[in-house]
Amino acid sequence: MAENLKKTSKEESVMTPDLFKKTFFRSFPLQACFCYERMQNVGFAYQMIPALKKLYPNKDEASEALKRHLAIFNTTPAIVTFITGAAIALEEKFKKAKEAGEECDEDSINAVKTALMGPLAGIGDSFFWGTFRIIGAGIGATMAANGSILGALLFLLIYNIPHLLIRYQGLKIGYKSGVNFLSSMSEGGIIAKLTDAAKILGLIVVGSMCASMVKLSTPLVFHIAGAEVVVQTIFDSIITGFLPLGLTLVTYNLLRKGMKTTTILWGMILIGILGSVFGIL
Amino acid sequence: MSLFQAILLGILGGIGIWDSRVMGMCMIERPLILGPLVGLILGDFQTGIIMGAALELVMMGIVGIGSATPPDTVSGGILATAFAITSGLDVSAAVALALPIATLGQIVGTLVRTANGYFIHRADKAAEKGDYKGVDKALWGGAILFFAAYFTLVFTGAYLGSSVIGAFVAMIPGSVTAGFKVASGMLPALGIAILMQLLLNKKNVAFLFIGWALTSLLGVNTVGVAVIGTTIAYVIYQNMSNKTVVAEKVASDDLGGEL
Repeated sequence: MAENLKKTSKEESVMTPDLFKKTFFRSFPLQACFCYERMQNVGFAYQMIPALKKLYPNKDEASEALKRHLAIFNTTPAIVTFITGAAIALEEKFKKAKEAGEECDEDSINAVKTALMGPLAGIGDSFFWGTFRIIGAGIGATMAANGSILGALLFLLIYNIPHLLIRYQGLKIGYKSGVNFLSSMSEGGIIAKLTDAAKILGLIVVGSMCASMVKLSTPLVFHIAGAEVVVQTIFDSIITGFLPLGLTLVTYNLLRKGMKTTTILWGMILIGILGSVFGIL
Repeated sequence: MSLFQAILLGILGGIGIWDSRVMGMCMIERPLILGPLVGLILGDFQTGIIMGAALELVMMGIVGIGSATPPDTVSGGILATAFAITSGLDVSAAVALALPIATLGQIVGTLVRTANGYFIHRADKAAEKGDYKGVDKALWGGAILFFAAYFTLVFTGAYLGSSVIGAFVAMIPGSVTAGFKVASGMLPALGIAILMQLLLNKKNVAFLFIGWALTSLLGVNTVGVAVIGTTIAYVIYQNMSNKTVVAEKVASDDLGGEL
């Protein structure tokens, strides 16, 4: 890594090891000034500043560059460095081109940022929210429910080891391959395949969670012709865990039909209370 | 709860919101992590761990994806754990209490994310002058506002709440408490369903049932499911890579549509 950077810095690259470190640490407070109006824009500009300072020491150019990077921006925080790296590479390229007398349109830097932030957020969300977090929290919560602090520690490790690795490598990859990195990867369809595989893993864990975390059973007992019929036993004899799975699938369908999460949330509490008042649940 | 403990909980609230603001989302904001920390502050580590786990299950589906402001797991997680320890609430009652608090926290979060417009315009002005430092200052202005808002919310809730909430809990009739217990078993279904929206499509729906059957019918635990799941995902990833190669080779006689 350090060697590679030295090599590129010999070719007068803006990305020295020192700048790399600064940009990496500045990528963390991406959402510090989150606002509905332009979301993570100030955070994005903040991480560009070490590179911009180097490229544009004079006020007028600095002003243009800062304004450019205060445009609306929003992506998954853990993977933002891919875009930061690419944006720095573009700024550098454009500056050199301008000095060589070529005409170039800096707005295309924002176009690239905008083009990348959506797809990368899709990948980032399914990896970090749908996979690492679920596996970490699933394992962690099971251990913690038995009173072990290891659960919490394991959760942090399972999530943050890939998180920090990807954040670090992302800046490298993003910078090195500049604009071309995503198009070259999606040509081979690697990203799409990886996302599909990650989703499958996430779904298997989510399916297991239906069984281990959702708890729903009925104490209902019917007396028919003197015989006791325990309803839960009937459910259990068809398939164990029939009710929790059914509940999850019904909830999923309600969400898909556009019902709001808060409505479902309060609905469940209401059903719980009514159900226990009438002795159904 | 002493004033000092309430202040510490307030600071924990600020740190909790800063996880996703300043620290790049390292999951410190989750109830599973905040629970034990609340336990440390209030001197009941064990209850903190167990409450954290229970709240994590309920709030698992609540994440800030895109530009939406979700119910606030930070204030909900900290205050519900704190009340479970100081007022001796049982787990399910405290979990049920976490939800109204999280909704309140959501309102505070919405206000801050609107008010930060002020700092965005400060950043614009700094950019106009080419003032790098000014943009830095605007960012930290927003960060401080987030910290202050969540400190105030959690501190006030913790300091006033323990007696107020205690009295409130004493008024709740038994059937409602039992109902909350049932509801707290059902609520993870909502979290799971939200995740399914993120992951599920027509092609991969079958894998949900593999995971379910592994645990429900075969009794495999989460670690086991993660290992089996990784294996399956890996094999499928390999297959997909092979298929594209094969597909390119047989692209000339494509019968896929008719078969």
